[in-house]
Amino acid sequence: MAGLSLRGPRLDGARWAMLATIVALLLLVGLPLNYVVLQAIFPEVTRGSLSAPFSRFLPMLADPELLGLLGNTLRLGVAVVLASAFLAVPLGALRALTRVPGGATWDLLFLIPFMIPPYIAALSWVLTLQPRGYAQQLIGVEASGLLFSFTGIVLVMVLNVFPVVYFAVSRTLMAVGGRYAAAGRVSGAGPWRALWRITLPLSTPGIAASLLLVFALTIEEFGTPATLGAQAGYPVLVTGIHERFADWPIDIPGAAVLSLLLVMLAMAAFYLQHWLVTRRSFVSQSGKPALAERIELGPWRWPVVGFFSLVALISVGVPLLAVLATASTGTLSGGLSWDNLSGRHFEALLANRGGALQALSTSLGLATGAALLTGVLGALVGYLVVRARVRGKGLLDLLSLLPNTLPGIVVAVGLILAWNQSWWPIQVYNTGAMLLLAYACLLLPYPVRYASAAFRQMGENLEAAGRVCGAGFFTTFRRILLPALAPSLLVAMLLVFAIASRELVASLMVAPAGMSTVSTFVFGQFEQGSPGVGMAMSTVAILTTTFLLVALTVLSRKRLPIAG
Amino acid sequence: MSRRLLALACLGALPSLASAESLTVYSAGPGALIETLAADFRAETGIPVNVFQSTTGQVMARLEAEQANPLADVVISASWESAEALHDQGLLHEYRSPLAENVPDALKSDHYVAQGISALALVWNRQSETPPPTDWSGLTDSVYRDQVTMPDPAQSGAAFELVTGLLTALGEEATWSLIEALDDNGMIVPGPNARALNPVLQGARSVVFGAVDYIALGQQAEGESIEVIFPESGTVIAPRPMMILASTQRPEAAERFVDFVLSEQGQARVAERFLMPARSDIPGQRPGLEELTLIEVDSAAMNAQRDTILTRFRDSVNR
Repeated sequence: MAGLSLRGPRLDGARWAMLATIVALLLLVGLPLNYVVLQAIFPEVTRGSLSAPFSRFLPMLADPELLGLLGNTLRLGVAVVLASAFLAVPLGALRALTRVPGGATWDLLFLIPFMIPPYIAALSWVLTLQPRGYAQQLIGVEASGLLFSFTGIVLVMVLNVFPVVYFAVSRTLMAVGGRYAAAGRVSGAGPWRALWRITLPLSTPGIAASLLLVFALTIEEFGTPATLGAQAGYPVLVTGIHERFADWPIDIPGAAVLSLLLVMLAMAAFYLQHWLVTRRSFVSQSGKPALAERIELGPWRWPVVGFFSLVALISVGVPLLAVLATASTGTLSGGLSWDNLSGRHFEALLANRGGALQALSTSLGLATGAALLTGVLGALVGYLVVRARVRGKGLLDLLSLLPNTLPGIVVAVGLILAWNQSWWPIQVYNTGAMLLLAYACLLLPYPVRYASAAFRQMGENLEAAGRVCGAGFFTTFRRILLPALAPSLLVAMLLVFAIASRELVASLMVAPAGMSTVSTFVFGQFEQGSPGVGMAMSTVAILTTTFLLVALTVLSRKRLPIAG
Repeated sequence: MSRRLLALACLGALPSLASAESLTVYSAGPGALIETLAADFRAETGIPVNVFQSTTGQVMARLEAEQANPLADVVISASWESAEALHDQGLLHEYRSPLAENVPDALKSDHYVAQGISALALVWNRQSETPPPTDWSGLTDSVYRDQVTMPDPAQSGAAFELVTGLLTALGEEATWSLIEALDDNGMIVPGPNARALNPVLQGARSVVFGAVDYIALGQQAEGESIEVIFPESGTVIAPRPMMILASTQRPEAAERFVDFVLSEQGQARVAERFLMPARSDIPGQRPGLEELTLIEVDSAAMNAQRDTILTRFRDSVNR
């Protein structure tokens, strides 16, 4: 590490942090990824043999089906990014720049779509819109033609992921704040001109980062394409990977090859974003107190509230109501009628059938652990990538983003291959620690993205001032950088918590025998034909995570950090 | 301070290392069955059982990924061919349980034995406006237009068995023209078993072509207004193989577990889940092997052309 040279007088602390971060990243991301690559090249690696290298590569790449999968994946990713931006940029901008009645309540509401597992959301839309679904039973509408189509898949996915963009936009615009816009207006720009020429351009890193996340999330997502795609005739790379994993005979090398293609797609997106945000400086946070000055909406208040309510109704109300309806009706075929109202699915949960309560506490504990772990690592990586003058920091950035583009199942297999070796001194495999590793690996990109975007906007004067006053790396980091970073980082950690508490695909693979999480429990109930119990568990899990987040906010006597 | 508490809370969620004294069982559905079996076994022998319960595909993927250091002792799958494949790779421990005496010969070998048996059926929603179907081919009738779902044979081992059964009974040409006629009639193939059943439960569709019977029978028992119909012309069965991995460190405990599942108590538990017990001397709670018209399938020959059959199927429904 002699080649490293960091700015500032106290090299030791920073270098130590750098080393620790690199080791952690290599262990968390590099190791499983390495095994995926090995698997793609050496099909026999699970049997401990390196024979027949590349024997799967060429036949797979020559498969004409592959081009279709690739095209479908790209088209879906781009469509979801565009639609999310179209929906969430206005929402986020309104929330940040104007006084929307309801304020922070909207932030809380828009966090809920993230806590609804995507496959549950897709299933609720199916239950709502298919013929004789809930919508037809209540208002006589069915829309299975729309739902089981490309447009349907895009819409359901957008409703799931738009909060990423919403929070990024509203947070970034709040951080960029009224000061620059105010300066612009003093210089004679109108409010719109200030928005278009100053506030929005300065917010580019945050918004671009969130759109990249949406793209990565979309091409990686399994639940929605699997639920709607088969019937819509729209296969994507991820469903192709799962097919190779779940259909006998299992083809892990083939899945690994497809996964590497996904990784390349994501790398392309990464470079595009990188190019966007590094072309110029976006420093806008000087640490000077900024007075958030928000526009009064006046008579526009009500249309804006209407817009927010509509989005909340569709993205939160409909899926939640469908989940609740399925959970609290005795039978699906009985439909929505008072005689069919039944608490039996919830009773089954309370009777702890199938270890429902343990599953809930396991998931919450692991999600908390994953949020803390990725939060700390994310802040460090973000700092090193933006600030440190180190060779290979691009690699660090890339490594921390990659998991977001790796399907959960591939990370899971990589983790199994890496950790289920008898030569490890401590046996990590077949313990709950595997789930923690999987979640931390898969979700690390969130804190990293949010943290590096925040650092990009933070002036270096703050640290310089700290150092002048004699603070070392750790003191500067803890006393100056972390507090300034806290709002963005907390949002990212909340996202990590929300996603980790419901992660399905990797959980199915690495959960040790005898341990289940909320999502594996729910999935098991669906597989075995008890959708009612599955939906009851989903209801409990969604309400618990929401309640915990609200309680956390109230207890810490602060408003939700996302409320600014 | 609260952070420390949180850290403690999540440490508490990590379980202790799996005990060396316990037995590890990987099982494809039904979850309630394997949990009861594990609890009963522990009560009887004092040996704790760690269960990993999932779909056949997930169980097999996990076995494949764990090959460097296998952890499972006993595996129960929902697909007979998966047991054959594991045996061909030499991964299975040889054991013939003395309690398997009353299991039909076709459902046991020196390395694996059926835990229970399911059959393929038509599942019809009683509230639908369609007449109850009686046979596979009846569903091409225009009254069933846009009313039929079928599990994907690529994702459901049982549905694949059905296709091979039809190929055996009807011959190649008639089978594919039946599938094509069903496709013309608006049949959808939404995914594995539960996903094909769900639209019929809610009433979006009326009939499942080739549902796994025990899931539907369980739902019928819970009050869903559905009917499980075994077609007149015959159907196929999907036995669920149970096997011990050769890599097990505790072969005796594993053999005891297999014995226990084949005991009267264990088989009664299997019957409770509306599966046919593997032992012919244990009464089931549903139509048994002798009450069903069965199509004899040469599964070895059919599995050899699995890819061809699946490709042909895909071409027939995605025209």
